[in-house]
Amino acid sequence: MTLEFSQSPAFTMGVELELQLLKSHDCNLARDAADLLARLGKVKHPGQVKPEITESMIELNSSIHQRYTTLADELRTVRSVVARQAELLNLRIAGGGSHPFHQWSERRIYPTERFKHLLNLYGYLAKQFTVFGQHIHIGCPNGDDAVYLIHMLSRHIPHFIALSASSPFYQGEDTSFASSRLNAISAFPLSGTMPLVESWDEFNAYFEKMHRYKIVESMKDFYWDIRPKPEYGTVEIRVCDTPLTVDKAALLAAFAQALAHYYLIERPLEATPDLYLVYNYNRFQACRFGFAANFINPYDQQHANLGDDLIATLKKLAPHAVALESSAALNQLLDETATRRNDSSWLREQLKKSGSLNDVARLQSNLWMGKPDRA
Amino acid sequence: MPELNFLPTLPPALTPPILFGLLLLVGLLGGEVARLFALPRITGYVLVGVLFGPGGLGVLTTQLIKESRVFVDISLGLILFELGRRLDYQWLRRNRWLFATAIAESAFAFCAVYFGLRYFDYPPLHAALAAAIGIATSPAVVLLVAHELRSEGQLTERMLLLTAVNSVFAFLSVTMLLPFLHLEQQAGWAETLPQPLYVMLGSLLTGLVSSFFVLRFAAWLGKHEDRQFIMLVGMIVFTAGLARSLNLSVLVTLLSVGILARNLDFRHKLMAVQFGHGGQLFFVILFVMAGAGLRFDALPQVAFIAGMYIVLRFLGKALAILVFGRFSGLRPGAAGLLSIALLPMSGLAIVMVQDASSLYPEFGTQLSAVVLSAVAILELIGPLATQFALKQAGEAGERR
Repeated sequence: MTLEFSQSPAFTMGVELELQLLKSHDCNLARDAADLLARLGKVKHPGQVKPEITESMIELNSSIHQRYTTLADELRTVRSVVARQAELLNLRIAGGGSHPFHQWSERRIYPTERFKHLLNLYGYLAKQFTVFGQHIHIGCPNGDDAVYLIHMLSRHIPHFIALSASSPFYQGEDTSFASSRLNAISAFPLSGTMPLVESWDEFNAYFEKMHRYKIVESMKDFYWDIRPKPEYGTVEIRVCDTPLTVDKAALLAAFAQALAHYYLIERPLEATPDLYLVYNYNRFQACRFGFAANFINPYDQQHANLGDDLIATLKKLAPHAVALESSAALNQLLDETATRRNDSSWLREQLKKSGSLNDVARLQSNLWMGKPDRA
Repeated sequence: MPELNFLPTLPPALTPPILFGLLLLVGLLGGEVARLFALPRITGYVLVGVLFGPGGLGVLTTQLIKESRVFVDISLGLILFELGRRLDYQWLRRNRWLFATAIAESAFAFCAVYFGLRYFDYPPLHAALAAAIGIATSPAVVLLVAHELRSEGQLTERMLLLTAVNSVFAFLSVTMLLPFLHLEQQAGWAETLPQPLYVMLGSLLTGLVSSFFVLRFAAWLGKHEDRQFIMLVGMIVFTAGLARSLNLSVLVTLLSVGILARNLDFRHKLMAVQFGHGGQLFFVILFVMAGAGLRFDALPQVAFIAGMYIVLRFLGKALAILVFGRFSGLRPGAAGLLSIALLPMSGLAIVMVQDASSLYPEFGTQLSAVVLSAVAILELIGPLATQFALKQAGEAGERR
């Protein structure tokens, strides 16, 4: 079985957002995904909305975009439609990488064949997988470029984690992590990174071997942080927590697009094994400490503050942002990084102010749905 | 022979603590036996009540039932408060079709029963009163069956919301009808109006004041679930007792505390406290006593009319939900199940019948037997209907 890498226009982008479905009266996770999806099936909206592994989640997919502004506009439109339909069912929708206080054992698997199979295979891990991520797709002209881009982006995984981190609470406790969600992913046997292959042919040889061993059926079985998506002709970045707003989701996509533009046009570096020697250290640091993490640069072996490294990266991307008409987006990320505050900081502040995780969940859903709130 | 007057007389007197403990134990037993037959526990509690009640072994005498009223009030208070909190005004405001469903569900049930009874030549006022009582679904049954099944979803939420709304409508209609009964007895407006007005406004005002204190208390306590729990139980029991002492309606008072505490809590100070195991204690007592209060003696004579009463009431509710439910976002197929879930009637109806009969004995002789027989039947099959509907809808939690 050989995987064909479909061609897609370079630097196009699309996002997938896994979202939380909350009950109005206590802001715990609800079980109404099927009812909400049925309603959304009857109203017109751009993009797609799909079920996810448990009945408390939905996944929102954007269409394919060349430019940041059209992506952001579309996401805001879908946000309004989804929020409106949810309200008719007395549900709330929230962003954020984890629900602050739900109990995984109360979750129910969404009844499709694939999800039932996952429950059979993974047991409680499947229910603990009720965490919420953003996936960003970047179009690549060919498989070799995709392989190269994946290696280059792996250096930036900590940036994406720190920028998107929004899962400080898990099962009713403060985890002390900026992103606790990625810990739930690491439990899966096929999580991790793509091996250090150098071309699409080499990747295919690897995939065929894994397929022959019957370890995987398709690309879907790899839960890697970044993986190629040959049927779309894209590279998919999967480490981001779903941000608290769709605006932030669009900003993250713009960052990924600018990075892809930089690496595929300038080809400044070659992939080295060192990328993956420091990988897990850097990834853990970013999950645990966010912008304050320690970051080891695999190309010069220097230690740096992750926030500083991100600012340097964003500045380096400026000319590419101009070409992609996303300077405003990258500047916004620069400003945010300068304050060293991300969504996790916001969530912790809300807990301090309100005193209960139910309130945190309510406030984070107000934020996502674009509703003003008293106190 | 020395005097042994320190020894008690035997058997020992059935004091309230002994009674409370015994009711709990036999109720529990009945509940577990019911589970063996895949029946809801509530049905088990009710059957224990029937067995030990005045109509059965007679252990629970009418006198004892009266003395246990305090337990019943506490349980009802907790349930009504909880149900009131599920009446989310914002949801009704956003979803107009749901609002229409709620109104129609009450109105159609009333009309169906009213015209049915008129067809059988019952006098208009009596028919209206019996129909008004039939509007209400039993708050205790739907809430506890939903709890027991750990049921969640659109059908469950709507069942609780509609029950809260139809309980309010039932009480309002009955209260508004009472003056007309008086009038029929040639009393003037001056004698007839004050009492229902007092009950209605007094209950609402008490509810308002109580909910105000609940929210102030909650704000002062902060977000501590354990302390808010104690405060809530305290306020609810106190308010239920106060309503009873002031000759107000425990139903309206506590329901309005729940509704107002939910909808006036703009600053989100009150937590979503679960009553949990503590609440369960009182609910066992509530249903055992409800079972003891059931009357089956008149059933043979009025069986047909009571049956018609149940069927018409169901058809009225079902029609409203079938017509309006779809527009309010209810998934196809759920409307029928929701109508079934709303079938239960219970103690609430008995209280309303008693109120009406005490003010107007003629109603007691004519229609109360019909309503009470219908309640007796629904008290037994109602929990089963609700359980069936929630399971069939796929909203019951996984078994543990």
